[in-house]
This record gives sequence, C-alpha cells and structure tokens, in this order.
Amino acid sequence: MNRKMLILALTLLGFFISVGFKKSEATIALENVTKQFHQEMENMASAALRLRQVAEQLDGSTAKTLALQDAVAQVRLTFKKGEFLYAYLDPQFVRKSLNGAPLPSLVPNVPSIIVIEPSGLQVLDELAFGENPNESKAEIVKLAEKFERDFQELHDFQKTNKLTHRHVFEAIQQQLIRSFTLGVTGFDTPGSANAIPEAKAAFEGMYAAFKNYMPLLEEKDRGLAIVMDARMENTLQYLTENDEFESFDRLGFLMKHIEPQYQLFFEIHKALGIEFAEETDKSPRAVNSHATGLFDPNFLNAGYFANIDLKEPLFEKRKELGRTLFFDPILSKNIQRSCASCHQPEKAFTDGKPKSLASDGKGTVQRNSPTLLNAVYADQYFWDLREPRLDRQMMHVVMSKEEFGTTYVEIIDKLKQSEAYRQLFAEAYPDQPQYQLSTYTISDALSAYVASLTSLDSPFDRYVRGEIGQLDPAVKRGFNLFMGKAACGTCHFAPVFNGTVPPTYDDSESEVLGITATADTLHPVLDTDLGRFANGMPSNNADFMKTSFKTVTVRNVELTAPYMHNGAFKTLEEVVDFYNRGGGKGLKLDVPHQTLPFDELKLTRAEQNDLVAFMKSLTGDVSKFEAPTSLPVFKNNPTWNERKVGGNY
Amino acid sequence: MTKKIYLLFALAILCASANTQTLFDEEIHMPAGYAPTTIVMPPSPLTTQVLFVGGTDMVQTTATYGNPAGEQVAKEWHDFIGMTPDPSGQSIGWVSVNHEMIYSDDKLGDGGGMTAFRIARKADGSLEILDQNLNDGRTGKFFNVDFVNTVGETGMNCGGICSIVDGRIWTAEEWFASSNAAMYGGGGGVRDTSDFTITNSDIPGWNGTTLKKYQNFNYMVEIDPKQARAIRKQYNWARQPFEGGAVEPGNRIVYLGPDDTPGFFGMFVANTPGDFTKGTLFAYKHDKPGWKWVPIWEDGSMLDHKAFADQKGATMFNRIEWVAIDPKDNFIYFTETGLDSPSAAWSDDYAAGGVFHPATMARAQAQGLANPTDPNYHDYYGRVWKYNPMTSELTVLLEGGPDFDVSPDEANYPDKALSNPDGLTVVQIDGHSFLMIQEDLNGSSKGRVPAGVTNRTCEVYLLDLSIQNPTLDDLIRLTAVPAGAEVTGGIQTSDKKSILLNVQHPNTTNPFPFNHSLTIAINGLDQVSYDNLGNRSAELFPAAENKDENAAFSVYPNPTTRTVYLNKTTDVAIYDANGKRVMVKRETNEVDVSGLSIGTYFIQNADGETLKLSIQ
Repeated sequence: MNRKMLILALTLLGFFISVGFKKSEATIALENVTKQFHQEMENMASAALRLRQVAEQLDGSTAKTLALQDAVAQVRLTFKKGEFLYAYLDPQFVRKSLNGAPLPSLVPNVPSIIVIEPSGLQVLDELAFGENPNESKAEIVKLAEKFERDFQELHDFQKTNKLTHRHVFEAIQQQLIRSFTLGVTGFDTPGSANAIPEAKAAFEGMYAAFKNYMPLLEEKDRGLAIVMDARMENTLQYLTENDEFESFDRLGFLMKHIEPQYQLFFEIHKALGIEFAEETDKSPRAVNSHATGLFDPNFLNAGYFANIDLKEPLFEKRKELGRTLFFDPILSKNIQRSCASCHQPEKAFTDGKPKSLASDGKGTVQRNSPTLLNAVYADQYFWDLREPRLDRQMMHVVMSKEEFGTTYVEIIDKLKQSEAYRQLFAEAYPDQPQYQLSTYTISDALSAYVASLTSLDSPFDRYVRGEIGQLDPAVKRGFNLFMGKAACGTCHFAPVFNGTVPPTYDDSESEVLGITATADTLHPVLDTDLGRFANGMPSNNADFMKTSFKTVTVRNVELTAPYMHNGAFKTLEEVVDFYNRGGGKGLKLDVPHQTLPFDELKLTRAEQNDLVAFMKSLTGDVSKFEAPTSLPVFKNNPTWNERKVGGNY
Repeated sequence: MTKKIYLLFALAILCASANTQTLFDEEIHMPAGYAPTTIVMPPSPLTTQVLFVGGTDMVQTTATYGNPAGEQVAKEWHDFIGMTPDPSGQSIGWVSVNHEMIYSDDKLGDGGGMTAFRIARKADGSLEILDQNLNDGRTGKFFNVDFVNTVGETGMNCGGICSIVDGRIWTAEEWFASSNAAMYGGGGGVRDTSDFTITNSDIPGWNGTTLKKYQNFNYMVEIDPKQARAIRKQYNWARQPFEGGAVEPGNRIVYLGPDDTPGFFGMFVANTPGDFTKGTLFAYKHDKPGWKWVPIWEDGSMLDHKAFADQKGATMFNRIEWVAIDPKDNFIYFTETGLDSPSAAWSDDYAAGGVFHPATMARAQAQGLANPTDPNYHDYYGRVWKYNPMTSELTVLLEGGPDFDVSPDEANYPDKALSNPDGLTVVQIDGHSFLMIQEDLNGSSKGRVPAGVTNRTCEVYLLDLSIQNPTLDDLIRLTAVPAGAEVTGGIQTSDKKSILLNVQHPNTTNPFPFNHSLTIAINGLDQVSYDNLGNRSAELFPAAENKDENAAFSVYPNPTTRTVYLNKTTDVAIYDANGKRVMVKRETNEVDVSGLSIGTYFIQNADGETLKLSIQ
C-alpha cells in the first residue's frame, strides 16, 4: 500500500467509527429481542394448548362456545404479538399453516395438482365465530390440534435460528405494512372482526422488541429517540381508544401513525448503521428498502416486477424505444394495429370497449382491455394470470390471430428494413451486438416502457403525502369504507389497490366473483369464461381456479369503463352494486368456489356513492403519457411510411 | 494454488450468491488497526460461454400443422441437456436441450419441445456451434426437434436420459394431464385433442393402438439429436410422470425415475442390448428376498402403472428426480426431492399394497408417527439415494437438511444446507467422479432459504463419490443462482473439457442474457486438478482449519473477480473508496463480490481489522 492510500484509509477510519456499533449495547439489544421472542413462542405454545383443550370441551352450551371464542381470540392476540417475527422469518410456513387465508391452495412446484386444505387461525376465527361452532366441533378440534403441532414445528425451528439486527428492523417494517393492509382491513379476522385489538397487540409486540434499541438510539440520535418514544405511546393509545371495526378511521391511522412511523423506522435503521437488504445479497425485492412510506411513489420497485434494472444507464433509451414500438402498427401483420389500438393513453391505456376489437375489424378478442397504468406491479399478467414474465407478455399478443396475428420472425424482418429502427436498437442495446434486434430487445424495450407506466400521483396520493391539504370528505369516507366495512381492501391491497399481496408484494391473487354475463342483476346469468382454470398452465388446472380472474388495480378506474374481464358493467355504481349484493352467489347463482363474501355488504346508497368518490380520487395525470409524434422511416418501403401513429383501428 | 476456486468464480457468473449464514456472535465494530495484504491471483483457467438463449435464438422448423418449414423463436425454460458424442471425431457431438415450458405454436408444435445443435471445440478452448444440413433439408445452427410429425406432440420436457454407452437421448415428459381438456388448456396447451393412433413405434403390441390424446403423454421419448426428430415414445416403460434415467454400460438395463408421490424406482431390461423396444419392466421392492425387483407386465399396466406397482407391493418414493450412473463402478444414484406433506398423495397407495423403505419408515418414526401416511409426516428437504447394481441394495447416500426438528446446538450446526435435490449427474474431474447435485426448492420455509430472503435460492453442489458415508459438510458449493431460477441439466461434454448447464426461468435484473433461460458452457475443466478440489480449505487456510483465533485477518485472492475467501469465519463489511458501506455479510468465510463494480474497497471484520480489497 502506498503512502497516499494509507492516508486515505486512515481518513476513512473516522467515518467507519461514526457508523459502527458500540458493540456491547447492540449485542445486548439483540440478545434481549431474542429472549423476548423465545418467551413469546412459549406463551404461544401455551395458548395453542389451551385452545385445543377448550375445543375438546365444546358441548353446545353457550358457556363452552364463549370459552372457545375467548380461547381463539387469545391465541390470535398472542400470535399477533410475535407475528412480525414469525411472518418475517418463515413467511411461507406462516401463510400455509398458521394464519393463511381460509381458502384452498395448491402445493407449489410439483408436476401434479395437489390441493392444500386451509388451516390455521383464519379458519378457526371463521368457525369459532360462526353461527354454531358446536356443529363444527370435530373440525375445530382437528384444526386446533394441527395448529398446536404446526406452531411447535415453527418453535423448534426458530429457537435455534439466530436473529440479526437487519431481521428485527425489516420485520418491523413489514409489520407496519401488514398491520395496515391486512390487519385493520379485517383481512385475517373473517369471523370475529377483532381486527383493531389485534393490530394493537401486533404493535405492542414489535414495540417491545424495538425498545431494546432505545439506549443505543439515544446515544446515536437523541432527537429520533424522543420522537419515536412519543409516537409509540400515541399509537397504542389511539388503538385503545378506537377499537371498533366499522368506525375505525383508517385514513387517519394511515396518515398519523403508519406513514410517519414507516419513515421513522427507516431513519432509525439508517442511524444505527444496520445493513439494508441490498447490502447482503443481490436478490431483487419488490419493496424498496429505502422507501419512506407505503404511499411514497418509490415504495414498490417496478424493476423487480419487470426484471429490469431501472438504474441501468441505457434504461431511458430503451424505454423511449419501447414507446415508439408501442405506438407503431408495424408490429402487426396488417400494419394497421399497434399496442395502443387497445391501450390508449387518454383512457388510462384501455379502449373503452367491453371487449377489444379483433384484427378482422368485426369480432372481439376474448376479454376486456385492462389498464397498463401500474400493471407492472404484478407477479403474473393477463386476466387469467397465464404469463409470469412481463417481457414474455407481448408474445401472446404477437401470436394471437385476433391481435397482431404474426410472429417475431416477421416482426424482426420488418424492423430490420428500417435504418432508423436499426439505429435506435443499436443505441439502446450497444452491449448486445449479436442480439441487437431480437425478441429479447423488442420485448425488453416494451417492458421498459410498461415499467415506466406508473401512476401514483392522484389527488388521494398527494393528500396522503401531504402535498395537498384538502380532500373531499366523501373521498375520505369512501376510503374508510374501502378499507373497512366494504372489504374492498382485503383483495385490492394498498397502495396499488390491486391483488399483489403485501407485505412482500411477490404474489398476484385472483378471485372468483361469480361475474355475470351482463349488468342485469334482476335476471342474472353467469359468465362462461373459465379464466385461470383454462389458462394453459397445468399448475392452474384445479377446480377452484374456475372463473377466477386477476384482481386488477382500482387506480384510474374513472377512465377505464366498462369493467370486469368481460366489460359487463358500464359504471362504477353498477360494480359497487354487484359487490354489495355479494357477487354471483349473492345473486343466487351457482358459484361453488366463490371467494368474494356472498353476504350482502349492506352499504347504504350514500356509502356506495362515497366508495365511488374514493375510487375517482385515484385518477392520476394521464396527460403525461404521450404518443410519439412520428414513427421511424422505411426508406425502401414508402407505403409503410403512411402508417399512422397508434394504428388505424 | 488451488484451482477449485476458479471453478467457483466461473459458475458464480450465473448470479449473485445469497449467503445462507445468519448466525453471528460479534458485531461489526471499529478497527483497532489494519494490515493490508495484496496477493495477485493468476488468471483463471475456466471461462464461461453462452451457447443458446431461450426465447431469443432462432430454430429451424419442419413443416408442421400445414405450415411450411422455416424459422421460429425457440421455446424456453431449459431443463435437461443431452450430450451425444460424435464418433467421427469431427466435432464434440450433438447437444439437445429440453423446453419445459408449455405453449401452443404453429411452427414448433404445441406443448413443450426440444432444441438440438452440434458443437465443436475451437483452438482457444471455447465451443462453437456448427452449421448443419439435415436430411430433411433444414440448414442452420439450432433445430427444433420434430415431435408433431413423428410421435404426436410432447409436453413438460423436464429431465431425460443420456446414455453413457452411445449418447442416445430420451426426453422425459412430466405432464400428467388426466383429461383432454386439461391438456388443451384453453387453447394454450395442445390444441389437437383427437385420438392418437401409434405408428412406427416398433414396440410389439403398440403399433396401431389408439389412445385418448392425453394418454399419449408422460413417456420417455427417444429422439435423434443429429436429425432433430423424435423416434418413439417408450410405451413399454409405462405411462409415468418421468424425470430421469440412466443406461448401464451393457446397454441392456435402463433405470427410471418418475417424479410422483408415490414414484416407483424402475428398471427396464432389454431382450437384446441396445434394442429397448422389447424387454421387461420392473419396479423396485426393497423387501423382496434376493433380487429386489418385481416385474410389471400385466395387460393394462403400462397405462396404469401406479395401480399395478401398488398391487405388487413396490417401494414408494416421494418424487424421484434425476438418475445418474458412475461409469467407474456402475453404481446408480438418484434424487428423491421430497414433498412437504405427502400423506394425502400416497395413503391410498399404501392401502393398496405399496411399501415404504426402512429409511422412510424411520423418518416417520423419528417424527413420532407410525408411518409416512400420517397427515403430520413431513419431508421438507429430500435426499440422494445410492443403488448397488451387484446386490440390488438401496441406501440413502445423503439426507437433505439440516432438519431443525432435531434442534442441533450451534456448535454442531452444519455450514451447508441441501434442500430438494433435483438435477443429478456424474462429472469427472481429473479422473475422479463427482456427483453434481442441483437443487430445485419446493418452498422457502423451514430454512430452505435464509431468513430475510423472500425468493427461492437454488444451489449447485459437488460431492466426491470416493467419500464413504458423506455428510452435508462434504458438499462443495459451486454457486447459488438468481431468484426464482433453477440450475439444471448439468452434463459434461464428451471431451471432458466443459460442463454444460441450463439456467431456467430466472427472475432477476441481471443483464441479458442472464435474465433468460439459457444454456451455458464452462470451459477449461480439464485444467482443474482433484487435489485442489478435495482439500480446498485446508490448503487455502490452514489457520482457519485450526480455528486459530489469533491469526491476523487475511483474504484471498486479492485482487479478486468474483469471490473472496477469508481466513476465519466472521462478520464482514465492505466499504467503497468513499467510505460508503456497500456490503455486509454475517458469520461467513467467503464473500461473493460479483455484484460490486471494479475498483478499490476496504474489507473489515468483526474485530475491526481492515484490509484493502481490489476488485477487478
């Protein structure tokens, strides 16, 4: 090492000290978190044992039924105290065995269809708080036994697994997301509606863990410590005083508790010098570790979903090339249709038709054109979720006879004839001489463009972020209904309000709603589209996937009528009415696997209007998405130069 | 110095490694001083090369469904790789790649498929893809294997068999559709659902037989990689969701692995060596006295193999994947990848007569259960089995895990975890046999990925087959692969100088082509020596082996390109030249720095010792 280097290194040492830990205090904090965690698991094991014993004593008497309900509630509250760590450390196990949705699922990654029947606390909540728990005694006992055993398994595993500081802070961050999106919405308390006291237990649990870091934080940043201390007290008090499910002010909770604390915990994570996820491994993650809140426009990482590095210096060029391709009918067989034929920017990238026009100009394609705004935030694409990769999404359009009706080979042949296009591809993909104009570059450029079609600047976003001070009271009421009584937010998850599941946002859900063929709810007829069941993926060929469709975003719905995969509903009022009646099953249609609650929501006319007002407050600025003014020239094929931006129809 | 690490570097190009260690004792804290070392690393003898990019490279197609022969974009989701040597010596031979992905295509054919190409070694040690003229008139580099006009479509081509005798190739169809509607898949699967009449199979009793279309899937299908066409579906090996197999050197016996619960370890014995159209199918039955195989030859058993195997009391396995043979002693190895909760899948078969191997029974009993049909029976990690062809004994070579049910104390906690082994081949390095084990995780729970990593992270290991009673610690970790990806198909080229590998459906922001399904080669394997592979850590860092806590912190190699090794297990942080912390690893003795850009960094351990680190 030369002298200059030595001096530089010595200078850096000072910096290292400032971000490093004071060893003993950090270690003590983590040891205490670990001790508490182990104690929580012991408590949980006792609660699970008691639940089983109480379940075994069910005899039809009111006393025993109440005892059961109390035991379920206690188990759930105990679970909530440690949930932030259980769910962070083994998310898949918790979802599958301990507190997953009360719906059947499939064993992943096996060649055959193997259905996993639901078990865990949500099913128990549903049964124990159902009409007559004693009738389900055998099932409840079985579920309680299974829960006890499954928890034991988690316990055995986790008691030897060592925590790190990063785990603790990431677990807290996830719990903030979880408590808001899945907790206070009633997502995981389908029977008891005990959501708010449970949220309080979850906060108590994670605060108790975090408080071990307070001495360290006081040393590092006293101001942060003081603020956080006050915040914690304030939140617990708020949840104590406002524990009623229907009247709970979700918007106030979001803005006064969730968002500020999300930011504070991020600042604390940073101030303590704890590593962030990207410093430990390169696996891309859906949630940006440096986001400051759920409604931070950078909360989700579009690059993760699109498999694109948004920091790549060539991204802008690729996105621009993608925009050109998007509006260029040269991609279609007859050179008259482009992506924009069915995805028009001014309609939030939809086309206003129940089902899009087919390439013959007469018929229609199979389904309604979904918005592309925020479409990137999904694990699988299309109404029937048939494509897990955004860059491969285009292939389906290229090959479909009703759409582009062509092949990549033909598209590449055409594009190669334009010197202008060759130039654009060379500039965007100089690192890939061998594949400069290929399926890869074409679909990557289009993916880059679609990844850029994010719209998180609606009046509602801006209000939550504090960029505007006023919001129509109807919108506020509507949001609280959406996230509470109307149960919209339990499938259309915040902040994109689509089916991408928090807190890790790495899975896209679909739902069976029993959608009707038309909006006529007096003479309802079921739509016959099998949806996900028939999407061509052998792993989706399970009965309960029949007529299951992707949960699409509610953002910009004001611009995207008509609604549903078949465009059956012309207005948002009709949509809300359909849900209010309990979907297809609520209309007395035969929908054996409906996942939408089929009880009436009992929304008043005014409440329905508030919901619509909220949805309309999610409209972003679409004027910023513009078509290019001209398309690349084909010198040797003048007739192609007459093609229109966006295509003819 | 060791060359083993070069292999690591080369393979690490596939992706970032996700560290599996989360244990630690000490915090990163301030340095008391530092002692920089600079050791110059000699250039690596191994290089990687991308051969074939799925969904991007063009393949030559035959006239299909009334469309003329032409060109189309290849299918994706590469899985098995076949390597057929060129006896003429004019090239290394023919490579055939499975596409597990299913979709309908007017030119390639509906369902799954394969792509074949011919490779030769260039003077610089790299491979080239040769131009070919096939008998059917197709010319080019990559060829779509024609299934449509030969044997009916194919589907979900996952594993396969590459004969060690002559490089004959079978592709395994794992598409267990139980109806035409399921196979049709709303038009996305196989669109032609009319009955299929078998012609030219040469299998006695099968020509002229008409099957429901879905019944024409789930076979081992022999292909001709030189002419890029399918030859026959092996109806006489029964309809099973096949994954792997191996041909023994006498060219008479084929071992078969079906990916099913229960899956029955199978053996087909040909009447005449090399003619697999006539012979007898057996299923393994561990409790049969003497030779532990029972014949399955009853009428109807080929289409309903499971029922007949149950009836014969054959031994049930929980998803058999790849089958490999060690050419040095003809021992057979296969992976049983596991299924978290197999109870519902094999309880009926157990009632119908299927039996459990004592090792499987013992696992259930260790879990406090009577047998593996108990709903609480779990098989999270899978294992590798070893079959002795002389005695017909089957034993577990290596259990996956570690299984935390037994709650090991920290001191005994293994450094390596093996979960859901899938791909399996024998590779020869410096004349020694190694199993190359490729994971394909069934889930992320129960420690199969580290806490705080939400994605599946699959790894590739080497295991020295000369080790008696190997443990997880004997595994040599080659690499971890990108989120969502599966590394599979690993096979050695017939000149032993390269390993071919497939990366399947990676979900990552890696630059193209490392975000696509692709076939890559690792060249220069002939320059790696066994001694170094076998004694890596001892040779590198005797101090670390002795757990000498007083040794000064040192790292190797430095400068580095991919991985830097530490002389003791510790927490480390890497800082860039501006003092910004860019990477933290806890309780580790190696750090993959491939994600960092070239430049000068500082690496600091838990005791605060800091070294300059140069990344090239």
